[in-house]
Amino acid sequence: MIVRRFVAPVLAATVLVVACKKQPPPPPAPTGPTAEELARMRADSIAAAQRRADSIAAAQRAAEEARAAHERAVAEAKATLQEMVFFDYDKSDLRPDAQTVLRRKVAVLRASPQVQLQIAGNADERGSEEYNLALGNRRAEAVRQFLVGFGLAESRFSIISYGEEKPLATGHDEASWARNRRDEFVITAGENAINPPSN
Amino acid sequence: MTGPERRRLGGVVALSLSIALAVASTPIRAQQRDSIPGVALGLMYETVSQPALGIKPFTGRFGGAGVAPQVEAIIGRDLHNSDRFEVMDSLPASMGGEGVDYELWDRLGAVWLVTGQVEGAGDGLVLLLELHDVVYSELKQQGRFPIPDPSDPGFRMAVHRASDQIVEWVTGEPGVAATRIAFGMRDSQGNKDIYTVDSDGENLQRITDNHALSLSPAWSPDASHIAYSSDKGGTNWRIYELNLTTQKERMIPPPRPDANITPAYLPDGHAIAFAVTSGTRSGIYTYDLDNGGLANLTGGRYYDISPTFSPDGKWMAFNTDRFGTTVPQIMVMPMSGGDPQTLSPYQYGKGGYYTSPDWSPRGNLVAFHGRIRLGTYHILVADMKDAGHKLKQLTWEGNNEDPTWAPDGRHIAFVGERRWGFGLMVVDISTGRLRTVIAGRKVSAPAWSPSLNVQR
Repeated sequence: MIVRRFVAPVLAATVLVVACKKQPPPPPAPTGPTAEELARMRADSIAAAQRRADSIAAAQRAAEEARAAHERAVAEAKATLQEMVFFDYDKSDLRPDAQTVLRRKVAVLRASPQVQLQIAGNADERGSEEYNLALGNRRAEAVRQFLVGFGLAESRFSIISYGEEKPLATGHDEASWARNRRDEFVITAGENAINPPSN
Repeated sequence: MTGPERRRLGGVVALSLSIALAVASTPIRAQQRDSIPGVALGLMYETVSQPALGIKPFTGRFGGAGVAPQVEAIIGRDLHNSDRFEVMDSLPASMGGEGVDYELWDRLGAVWLVTGQVEGAGDGLVLLLELHDVVYSELKQQGRFPIPDPSDPGFRMAVHRASDQIVEWVTGEPGVAATRIAFGMRDSQGNKDIYTVDSDGENLQRITDNHALSLSPAWSPDASHIAYSSDKGGTNWRIYELNLTTQKERMIPPPRPDANITPAYLPDGHAIAFAVTSGTRSGIYTYDLDNGGLANLTGGRYYDISPTFSPDGKWMAFNTDRFGTTVPQIMVMPMSGGDPQTLSPYQYGKGGYYTSPDWSPRGNLVAFHGRIRLGTYHILVADMKDAGHKLKQLTWEGNNEDPTWAPDGRHIAFVGERRWGFGLMVVDISTGRLRTVIAGRKVSAPAWSPSLNVQR
């Protein structure tokens, strides 16, 4: 056993010495990609990664655009809810322009069931302060009735009148008075749950 | 001409003169334009007498001499504001001195003469007043009035009480100098609070500090409380009752969660009436101040607001939009029940805008304001003793709104608008004489207090 242990390395060394003396055989042909192929592959992989990145960016961009569009739509819906309506002198009837504004509100309110509104009626400075308080209340009530007429729950609307106490315009002329004969709208609940109207 | 004759004629001449001046100062065309067809324009045309009244320079002793001119000035202005006299002022100091020279005062045209002496008395002063009948050369009345030191906040009101006594000596009815007028007024932040001012325009005091909108003050019949409407609670308009002595306040429980506005005390002082504007359950409610408990006086889908009561408590007048919001009208109904009747001159289809009724403490008249042709507002009074409720228009210049009666049933305070701006003004319905209590401030919905002649 001990002899055999020493014999094997000696044999191997002999073989090596003999081999060196002869002409070396050609190296085996390489089996991997060529340098050109490697370069192409690298370019391809970069391109693919770029495409992947581009597509992700496009998707992100699209998502951002969609989000921005939604935000715009929500902001628009909020502005629609807050848009004032105006009245004729001493009247609480809803003018055609007021009804158009209110119909847009109805669409938003239907899409946003959590939203609640305070309707604040106002009057111009002419006439009795106490009667103007009543007139402002009439104006708020007229809008509430109009909205409720579209099947919206009455409990979503509170009303208040400020009479002639909170003028928008402080002039003493018809232009100022016309701006002051108005209902204002305050979102009292569901401000973060406003949805644009569904088409 | 003998004295008594002159007394009579002097008054008539004075009245004619004041009418002539009033008419002359207003273009005739403006008057014709600014009137309601069929409504008489002008004064009540009572045969009033305004006898000349002299005031002898007041004297003082025991430390009262320094105060005497001040007391005299307050009384002189009060007597002028009473519209019962032609007060003779600008008299030379030489008119002072001991005793009363009736012959001299008679030559000057005085019918009545007031003398006064201010005496120091311990920690205050005593005002000794005498009323002399110059025509009959006799002392008619005299009285002693304790008044505090001028630095005391009660000084002016104590002097006003003495003025009212002089008016009562002459006419049998106390004057209204010892009164205040409450109203709403806005500050630079846009908040509105309740203020009071003495009848002579002095002593403006803010009595609420709500940082909100507070308006439509109403005095309790004993002048101890003021009720008003405010949005300060953050939900909607509520009625509050403020005790002026203790500064304690309570909210009148709202019968409906919507606006509770335009409070008015019932004449007995035990209940407060107010308007609720709340859809089909609007109307005028009362709240029992002693026992709590709400009752309904009018109700329905109409807004009935601004209740006011006849002094006997048997009738209520109010403002209503039941004929349409463009044509608010004044209606009157018996408190015992029954249908309201229209008091303002409403004719179907003819329009007309009448608001802010206030029932005279004498019971005979209801004042309100109306929009006259060309859109100006004027004070009107309806005669409740006349079957047709005959109307008189008391103002013709500028805009005039929200009348409130003085306790004498003869003077009306209102919000006036003139070329110089807004102000709190007073008209005497007998002579038509106007005076400005506060100029240049936009006051709103004034309420004249009951007499403060009983010291509280």
